[in-house]
Amino acid sequence: MYSESFEYFRPKTLAEASALLKKHRGARVLAGGHSLLPAMKFRLATPKALVDIGAIKGLSGIAAKGKAIGIGATTVHAEVAASKLLQRSCPLLPETAAQIGDVQVRNRGTIGGSIAHADPAADYPTALVALGATVVVRGPRGERKIPAEDFFVDLFTTALKPGEIVTAVLVPVSGKGTGAAYLKHPHPASRYAVAAAAAVVDVANGVCSRASLVIGGVSATPVRVLKAQDALVGKKPDAASIGAAAAQVEALVPDPMGDVYASGEFRVHLASVLAKRALAAAFERAKKG
Amino acid sequence: MSSRRPTRIVGRPFTRVDGAAKVTGQTKFADDLALPRMLHCKLLRAKVAHARILAIDVSKALAAPGVVAVATGRDLPVPFGILPVSQDEHALCPDRVRYVGDPVAAIAATSEDAAFDALDLVRVEYEPLPPVGTIEEGLAPAAVPIHDHGDQGNIHKLVAMQFGDVDEGFARADRVYDNTYFYEGNTHLALEQHASVADFGPDGKLTLWSSTQTPHYVHRALAKVLGMPASRIRVIATPNGGGFGGKSDVFNHEIVVAHLSRVTGRPVKICLTREEVFYCHRGRHPTLMRVRTGVKKDGAITALHFQTALDGGGYGSYGVASTYYTGALQTVTYRVPTYRFEGARVFTNKPPCGPKRGHGTPQPRFALEAELDRIACDLGLDPAAIRREHLQPANSLTANYLRVGSMGLGACIDKVVAASGWKKRRGKLPFGRGLGIACSSYLTGAGLPIYWNQMPQSGVQLKVDRGGGVTVFCGSTEIGQGSDTILAAIVAEILGIDPLDIRLVTGDTDLTPVDLGSYSSRVTLMTGNAAIQAAERARELIAGAVAKKLELPPERIGFAEGRVFDVENPEKGMTFPEAAVAGESLHGTLGTVGHYRPPPSAGRYRGAGVGPSPAYSYSAAVVEVEVDPETGIYAVPKIWIAHDVGKCINAALVMGQVEGSVYMGLGEAMMEEMAYRTDANRNVVHKFPSVLEYKSPTTLEMPEVETFLVEDPDPNGPYGAKEVGQGPLLPIPPAVANAVYDAVGVRVDEVPVTPEKVRRALKAKAQGKPARVGPERFPAVPYPEPIHVRTPEEGGDGKAEDAPVTAAGGVR
Repeated sequence: MYSESFEYFRPKTLAEASALLKKHRGARVLAGGHSLLPAMKFRLATPKALVDIGAIKGLSGIAAKGKAIGIGATTVHAEVAASKLLQRSCPLLPETAAQIGDVQVRNRGTIGGSIAHADPAADYPTALVALGATVVVRGPRGERKIPAEDFFVDLFTTALKPGEIVTAVLVPVSGKGTGAAYLKHPHPASRYAVAAAAAVVDVANGVCSRASLVIGGVSATPVRVLKAQDALVGKKPDAASIGAAAAQVEALVPDPMGDVYASGEFRVHLASVLAKRALAAAFERAKKG
Repeated sequence: MSSRRPTRIVGRPFTRVDGAAKVTGQTKFADDLALPRMLHCKLLRAKVAHARILAIDVSKALAAPGVVAVATGRDLPVPFGILPVSQDEHALCPDRVRYVGDPVAAIAATSEDAAFDALDLVRVEYEPLPPVGTIEEGLAPAAVPIHDHGDQGNIHKLVAMQFGDVDEGFARADRVYDNTYFYEGNTHLALEQHASVADFGPDGKLTLWSSTQTPHYVHRALAKVLGMPASRIRVIATPNGGGFGGKSDVFNHEIVVAHLSRVTGRPVKICLTREEVFYCHRGRHPTLMRVRTGVKKDGAITALHFQTALDGGGYGSYGVASTYYTGALQTVTYRVPTYRFEGARVFTNKPPCGPKRGHGTPQPRFALEAELDRIACDLGLDPAAIRREHLQPANSLTANYLRVGSMGLGACIDKVVAASGWKKRRGKLPFGRGLGIACSSYLTGAGLPIYWNQMPQSGVQLKVDRGGGVTVFCGSTEIGQGSDTILAAIVAEILGIDPLDIRLVTGDTDLTPVDLGSYSSRVTLMTGNAAIQAAERARELIAGAVAKKLELPPERIGFAEGRVFDVENPEKGMTFPEAAVAGESLHGTLGTVGHYRPPPSAGRYRGAGVGPSPAYSYSAAVVEVEVDPETGIYAVPKIWIAHDVGKCINAALVMGQVEGSVYMGLGEAMMEEMAYRTDANRNVVHKFPSVLEYKSPTTLEMPEVETFLVEDPDPNGPYGAKEVGQGPLLPIPPAVANAVYDAVGVRVDEVPVTPEKVRRALKAKAQGKPARVGPERFPAVPYPEPIHVRTPEEGGDGKAEDAPVTAAGGVR
C-alpha cells in the first residue's frame, strides 16, 4: 500500500517543531515511525505533513534527575532495555522495553512515540501507569507535566493539546523493599500485548505497604486495579492475598476488547493470571531488593 | 538402467545451482524486471462482497495525469479457470463481483503512483446482493446463487462414492466412533508477492514474465481469453519467491497486463500488494468433517465413512479437485477395507480457496489422525502401535484403487518413536507436558493432468555442444524447491560432469518442452524421469562415439569427473568436451529428448482421476508440547519427524523441504487463519489482509526439529525418489492436537489449536462437561446416492456398479 502524499519537515528545535505543528493543521509528529508509518500505508492515518523530531538535540537519553530518572522522548526501546541506570533504579521499565516488538522495532521505536500513539496494546503505558510516572510535554504555551494515569485518555487518544510534543518521561527511583514485574502475552504476529500486567509493590517487615497493579491490552487505556491495594496492603504477601488481589481483575473490565485471536473474556482471564504472576514475581523481587 | 550404476552426485547434499544468486540477492524475480517505456498497472478491487455491477465510469481516471489506458470487464469477456469444468473467472468482472477484492477495472499509467491515484477516480455503481459467508449459508437455498454453474444453489460440487460393503464393515466392528472436526482456512504467505510483466511486441507476439508455478496453464488461458494463437504467446515463469500452491492458478492480473500491453503497445507490469495477495488467496479450504469409524478391539479399521463440507470462496479454482482430495488419501496409510466418502464444496463471497501445500488432504488427515488417537486412547492401545500394526501393505491396491508401491511408514514410525522416547514418556510426563504422534502420506505427482490429454506430463530436451557444454531445456518451474538443481544433478550424474557446469533453461513456453508445472509434488519424479531418459540417450550417443575411438565395446565406457573413459582402465579416455566432439563428429549435432507419462490409474469409476499417483511418500511425526494449564498457552519445544522420500537426490534439499513443511504445518496448527467478519453493510470482509495481524510462526516459535530420512526406493521414482515438498506438513497439526491431549487431557478438534480453545476445553473439563472444543454438529448436506465400487478384495475391477455392493459379492 501507498501512503497519501505529505510534506516532510525536520526541524532542529522544539520551538520550530511546535510552530510547524501549529502551521500545518493535521500534521503529525514523526519519531521512530513504527506505528505511524504502517497506519499511513494502510491509509488509516493521512496526515498532510510530518514533523520529524529526530534532529532535535536533547530529546534522547537517560539521566538521573533527583528522585526520578528522565528518559528523553526519542530514546529508543533498545536503549531503555539496556540502560544500567534504569536496571538498577527502575528495573520495571527496561524489563518492559525488552518485551516490545522485535529487535528491529526496539532499535527504532521510541518511548515518546509509543505513548503519544497510545495504542491500547502497547507495553509502556501499562508499566508507566503502574510506576506512577510523569509525562513531560512542551507546546506553544510552555511545558506541562502530566501524570501517566491522566495522560492516556482513550483509544489512541492522549491528554496532549494541539502543538504539544512529548519531550520526556520521568520515572521514580525505586527504593529498598520495592519489587516490580511486567508480564505480557504477545500477539503472535504483531507482538503487541494481547494482555499484560504490571505490578509494583513495597514490602516492609514482611508486610505489603503498597501494591500498584495495572493491566493492559484489555481495554482502551491501562486499567489500575485499585482493589488490589485493599487486598494486599497491611497483609503478608502470600498465595491467598495475591490470589485475592488478582481476582479483582475479572470484575474490573465489564466490556473488554476482543478479536479473532483472543476474545474479551479470554483477554481478561489472561490479564488476571498475568496479574497474579506479576504480583508474585514483584513480591519475590521486593524480598531480594 | 541409470539407477543400477553407483551414483556420484545423486544422494549427496550438493550445492544448489541457483544458490549463489539467491544468497547474494541477485536472483531476478518478476518484480525485478523493468523494460524501456514500461507502464505500471493497478487493479480496482471491489469493496463489496456480492453485487451486480450496474455501471462503470472510467472517464475521469482516463483523464488523470500519467494514465495511458483503462480496462474493464467489457474488454475481456472470455471466461477462464484452471479446471476445464470451472471456467468461471474473468480477468475483470463484467457484471458481478463475488468477494471483497474481486477486480473490476485496471489502470495502466506511467508510474505506479499515478495508476494507484487514478483508482479513486473510477466510479462503479453496484446493486448489492445478499452475501454468503459460511458453509452453512452456502448449503441453504439461495435466492441469487453466486454462480449459475454448480450442482445446486450455492453448492458447487457434490461427491459420493462407496468402496465395498461399508454397512457390513460397520456391523463387523467392535466399536463405532462418530466425531466432527473443523479445519480453518489459511493462506500460503509466500514472501514474494505475485508480479507479472507483459510485453506485446511489434511482431505481434506477446511475452509474459510471471511469478507462476504453472506457465503452461497460463499460456493456454492467455490464448483463450485474448483470442490469440498460442503460438504467438510466450510465458516465462520467473523464479518464484515461494509458491506453496498460491501461484498455480491462472490469475486475472496476468491476463490484464497482457491485454493492457496489447492495447498500449508498451510493456506493462504489475506487482500485487500484500493486501492483494490475501485477496488472490487460493489457500486452504475451511473444511467441516464428520468421521465415522468402525474398528475391532485391536484397532483394525473395518469401515470408514468420511464426510466433508468445504468453504470454496467466490470461484471454482481447483475446487472440484480439492473436494475429491478431501476423500482420496485416507486409504493409503492404514488398511481401510471398506470406505464411503461424501464431499461437498460451497461457494461463498470470500476470496477463492484452492490448492495449498497438501491440497485438500491436510484437513482430512487432521481429522483421521485425531480420530485414531481417540480410538487408541479409548481402546487402551498405544497410539503409535495402533498405526504401526495396521499399515496398508507395500505393493497393494487400496479399497479406492490407489496403487501403493514402496511404503516406508513403518520405518518412519519406528524412527520417531525411538528418538522421542515415546514409549517411556508418552502418557507419563507431568501434567502440562505431552507427546502426540501422527502420520501421513502424499502423492508424488497427480496421475492425471488438469485438462484431459494423452501427451507426456513432462518433457526434457538436452543439447550437447562441441565445447562440451550441456544445456537442459524443461518446462519445470523453480519455486524455491530446487527443481533446477535436481534437473542439473540428474543430467550431471549420467554424463559424469559437474551440475554447476550445466546450463538450464526452464519454465519458458517458447523454449522448453511442456512440464505441467510445480504442483502436486510432481516435479522431481516426472522431470527426473524425463531427464534420465534424455541424458541416457545423450550418453549412449557419446559413449558409442568414444567406444569407437578407443576401440572398445560401448559397455566399457564410463562417465565421471568430467571424463569419458574405459571403466577397466580409467586412464584411457578423454575429457567430456573431447567426447562431445567425438559424438558430434560421428552423429552430427547432438540433441536428445526425454519425456514422462505416469502409469494409468487402476480405478475406472467417476472420480478415480483424483488420488492416483506414481508413488506415495510417507511421514510420521512426534510433537512435544508444554501447556500452561491456567491460560491454555502452549509451546512446542521439539518435533521429531521421519519422512520416506524413497531416495534422496539431494539430502540438503530434502531436509529443507521437510523442515519447511514442519514450519508451515506448525503455523496452521497453532495460529494461522483467514478470518472474516460481516461489516455494517453486510459485506463479508477479510479481517486483516496484512502480516501485521495474520499470524505465522517466526524463528521465535520454530522449535528444534530432528529429521530422519527413510529411503525406501520406489520403482517409479528417478533413482527411487518420491515427493518431499508437501507430505511432511500433514502430520504436524494432528500431532499438535494429540500432544495437547496427552499434556492436559482435552481434545481440540479444530485447527488452529489456539490457546483460547485449549483453555476453553480445560474450563469445560473442570466443569464436568465434555473435555473438548470443536464443531458440535455436521450440517445436513444433500449428498447424492453414492456410486458403488467393489473393492479389489471383493474381486472388483475398479468400475462402478449399478447397485450397492455386498461383501458376499452380490448386489444389494
